[in-house]
Amino acid sequence: DSHIQYERVGADVTMKCGSMDWDAAVTWTANGTDIDESHLNGSYLILKNVDLTQSGQYSCYEGSSWHLKYQTYLRVGTPPKEPVLMCRSNNYPKGFYCSWHLPTPTYIPNSFNISVIHGTREMVCEKDVFPKNRCHIRYLQLFSTVKYKVTLTVTNALGKDSTTLTFDEFAIVKPDPPESVIAKPVPNNPRRLEVSWQNPSSWPDPESFPLKFFLRYRPLILDQWQHVELSDGTSHTITDAYAGKEYIIQVAAKDNDIGTWSDWSVAVHATPWTEEPKHLTTEAQVTETTSASTSSFMPPPTTKICDKGAVVGSGAVAVCWTAGLVLAAYGVLFI
Amino acid sequence: GDSWGIFTFLCAALCNLPALPALNCTEELGAGQSIQKTYDLTRYLEHQLRTLAGTYLNYLGPPFNEPDFNPPRLARAERVPSATVDLDLWRGLTDNARLAANYRAYSRLLCYLRALDGQAGTAELRHRLGHFCSSLQGLVLSIAGVMSSLGYPLPAGPAGPPAPPGNPVAPNDFLKKMDDFWLLKELQTWLWRSAKDFNRLKKKVPPAVVTLRLEARGF
Repeated sequence: DSHIQYERVGADVTMKCGSMDWDAAVTWTANGTDIDESHLNGSYLILKNVDLTQSGQYSCYEGSSWHLKYQTYLRVGTPPKEPVLMCRSNNYPKGFYCSWHLPTPTYIPNSFNISVIHGTREMVCEKDVFPKNRCHIRYLQLFSTVKYKVTLTVTNALGKDSTTLTFDEFAIVKPDPPESVIAKPVPNNPRRLEVSWQNPSSWPDPESFPLKFFLRYRPLILDQWQHVELSDGTSHTITDAYAGKEYIIQVAAKDNDIGTWSDWSVAVHATPWTEEPKHLTTEAQVTETTSASTSSFMPPPTTKICDKGAVVGSGAVAVCWTAGLVLAAYGVLFI
Repeated sequence: GDSWGIFTFLCAALCNLPALPALNCTEELGAGQSIQKTYDLTRYLEHQLRTLAGTYLNYLGPPFNEPDFNPPRLARAERVPSATVDLDLWRGLTDNARLAANYRAYSRLLCYLRALDGQAGTAELRHRLGHFCSSLQGLVLSIAGVMSSLGYPLPAGPAGPPAPPGNPVAPNDFLKKMDDFWLLKELQTWLWRSAKDFNRLKKKVPPAVVTLRLEARGF
């Protein structure tokens, strides 16, 4: 019968030929190739300081009859090192997922066990079919003050290791990048580019959990990006593009109030409209845009950069505070 | 004894302030604009709280100021209104229920915060707490304004009676600090939740609806 044997890189391995006596005459093969007698100690095969290349099938045959007495599959590898674990909610408020990998390969099969604890409750993280090293959890409660504790243990035949992540519900919110980013030149406007995009499809409820966006753009020939933050809407018109230069444009998304910015979207390229070198008097001024004015003297609309950061007028509060103080003074009289 | 009764009275009085009909504390804005202002105020408070909580937790000292600090929730912490809610339940809240939950929560949180104010260590900390309490009072009033402009009745004072005498004070210094820790945590979570609550309200209450109501009341 066949065995599998796992050994660490650098270990010394002794293989016995099944139930054969130590002084029996045997021949060992590695992947069908005879092994030199210098590696034998009696009928034992000695492999010193094994390395990965020595993985393979080892067989032991009785000397004269050439009967197969023992066979094993040697797999040389390492015990697992501390795994890398990441958890993220790209579909808030539905839930979150965790994914993991090993920093260095072990060369032998590993199994992963993940546990998620929320306060006193143990939650089940459902493993994804694809990608393999990933599982997802549905939130049962929202706006929780109790942290989630996720522990990942990786085990193989040579050892195990684990890592733990502890986080608040809000801390791991990070949407996927915006999708379908499109940048188009604006006819008859040599300094404009119209950019539009869509909410990431993984974000389940943009109505109640609106996203805000960050747009960056630069001409290919320059290194410096320009940035615009947009608190609503999924389009923006760049009005300060350099005429005739090709631009690279990207957009990122973030929940309006919590979490972190998504990665940058796929980059799109666009060049602003340029006038045809030949001036044809019959050339129709086709305006495809729906904007009312095509005049080049129209001042560019101001780009909405700042969030509305208004603080509630203090007038009404002052009135109430006065009354509050009166009541407080009244109460103090009784002490 | 006596001073606890006085404290309760003061707390109840101050917390019932927005319900007094004679005081017309709120500006008569369209509800849509009021909701936007309330939303903005929750964001402002959330930013303010970050600094305040950091300073206060440092004042409490370890382990309260450690980022990984994750204590189990003791039963006594149940008195602080929690923002935690079942997802489907939260989605299905009526506008009235949503606003009322916010109003009740912040009224009570304000009371607890004011209790903190009197005992905090440094003058700087007391100053920060005082400033935050003023802003939080503003939020409570703002929510009251939205509710009244939409024709909803204000919930009567802080929900339930104040903690019975003999129980309110923590038996030891460490538990007192735990109370403070959970208060700040729930306050922070409520501010995050409110941003989402008011987002939903923003979408559902167009300003036009409220203008009609104001006219009906003879303004």
